[in-house]
Amino acid sequence: MKRFTRSLGLTACAFLALCGQTQAADDIPTIRVGWSIPAEEMKYWMMRRPDAFPDLGKQYRIAWTQFQGTAPMVQAMLSDAIDCSSQAPLSLGQGAASGGLQAYVLAQHVGERKGESFSVYWAVAEDSPVRSVADLKGRTVGVNVYGSGVYGQMAMILKQNGLDPERDIRLVETGFPGSEAALRAGRVDAAVMNQPFALRAESKGGIRKLFSLTDLMPNTVHIFEVCRKDFTDAHPELVKRYVKDLRTAMALAREDRAETLKVVSEVTRAPVDLLDGYLLTDKDFARSADARPDFEAIQQMLDQYQQLGMLPAKVDVAQFRRDDLIQ
Amino acid sequence: MSAQAILQRLGAPLTVLVLLTLWELAARALALDGFPTATESLAQLPAILFDGQSLQSIGASLARMFAGIGLALLVAVPAGLAMGRNPTLARMLNPLLSAAYPVPKAALMPMVMLWFGVGDLSKILVIFLGVSLPLLYHSYHGAARLDDKLLWSAAAMGMRAPARLLRITLPGALPEVLLGCRVGLAMALIVMISSEMIARQSGAGDLLFNALDMALYPDVYAMIVILAALGFALDWAFEHLRLRLVHWAEPRQDAASGGNS
Repeated sequence: MKRFTRSLGLTACAFLALCGQTQAADDIPTIRVGWSIPAEEMKYWMMRRPDAFPDLGKQYRIAWTQFQGTAPMVQAMLSDAIDCSSQAPLSLGQGAASGGLQAYVLAQHVGERKGESFSVYWAVAEDSPVRSVADLKGRTVGVNVYGSGVYGQMAMILKQNGLDPERDIRLVETGFPGSEAALRAGRVDAAVMNQPFALRAESKGGIRKLFSLTDLMPNTVHIFEVCRKDFTDAHPELVKRYVKDLRTAMALAREDRAETLKVVSEVTRAPVDLLDGYLLTDKDFARSADARPDFEAIQQMLDQYQQLGMLPAKVDVAQFRRDDLIQ
Repeated sequence: MSAQAILQRLGAPLTVLVLLTLWELAARALALDGFPTATESLAQLPAILFDGQSLQSIGASLARMFAGIGLALLVAVPAGLAMGRNPTLARMLNPLLSAAYPVPKAALMPMVMLWFGVGDLSKILVIFLGVSLPLLYHSYHGAARLDDKLLWSAAAMGMRAPARLLRITLPGALPEVLLGCRVGLAMALIVMISSEMIARQSGAGDLLFNALDMALYPDVYAMIVILAALGFALDWAFEHLRLRLVHWAEPRQDAASGGNS
């Protein structure tokens, strides 16, 4: 009986200790973060090499959810399903203008830098009679997604070259993966190219670059990190830690390319050989060392989208700034 | 062994072999990036099937699928049986079901995500919706076709309504209910993948959609082969279970052939 009582006492102690541990673990705040592929190396590092970030898992946790594109992440933020996510200027602008999304832009994943980085471009067949943007009149042009940010910038370039993007071309949605096949099969006269598909198409030859997004502006911003305003204002220290770790991740990604290739390969399952052909080289998008958002470029892009009617009203980038968190 | 017997035994593997050969020849002839050969695609199978993380992802999807099916069994079968035995209830619910049937359940995912978040619950609910309708319809028809005299006799002998539902209606409608389960199982597999299209934490969708995003087409096709094999295995196992449970309802071979001896 005595043994039974002692065992019962020990079991109770163990249970209480376990409860205490669980309670302590539950005290660690969690950020719910949306992510996608490709080009979010900072997050991939935090997911796959958490030990490189002293605060992660001890001072705060991250619940990761992968999304297919930035638009669903706007919906998820609006419905309070996630706190932070990767965004593009257009999706954030539409979320703010049409859905009332209030958020802060806190770090930049990737953008373009004229002459130094890859720029999304439109390719034609080597022997195509299309020699200039104006030659696209009456032709079929491929785009990743109709109404996407990339489409918006392409439309601006067409306008600058005297073409009406609505009337003068036939637009076909090919997606990035299907773009090369559409061009080679003759389904489109000009196809949109992004990495790693551009690298693959170039290595086979038979294509020629017609124009790229750097023809419109030298510093297009593709993906940045945002957190909901209400969440950030309620937990500024927590978000500061997250931003600090994002920057640490950017430094690690840039400094240790070999490890970054492994990390990205683990997340995307793409073979290291394929990634080695472009990732973190001048064939890849630009990443700034401090991951600081380029607010001027974002504003310029938001203005372009408004001019095209893709945003219902002017969106001021100032509403997305909270400078004390990105110092 | 006669030629017909050999064909009966080897018919299915032969069909698969022919399909694989056609796939291989078509892919070689077309030489498109987005259409890898069968050998390239099948070569990716070991990399997926012997990778712990991939198996964990597939397991997570299957767990959600079975949770959705379980929930649908608990709700849709009793509801369908009740509709089958209660014409007023059937008249009330039938228009609603007819309207809901053609709605693609995966299209509800963004709405469900807004209400229930991006976690497992949303995906389980979408799978539940996808499985519920075929289950409900088959349960309804199974119960409606039941001979009324059986239930009248049971009632005359003092059996109460809940007992009649459990001991007479359910066994009588079971062959039809299980057919609904079989349709629901295939539906569950389809919705399981499409529910992971928009948002996911882990699942078979990771393997499929990430491979698509990175243009790893052999991986994409390998995942499709795995899903097809999974569907086949689940259907095969369920059909065996179904035949064991309702063998009494299957038409007898001698009866079907007119009792020739």
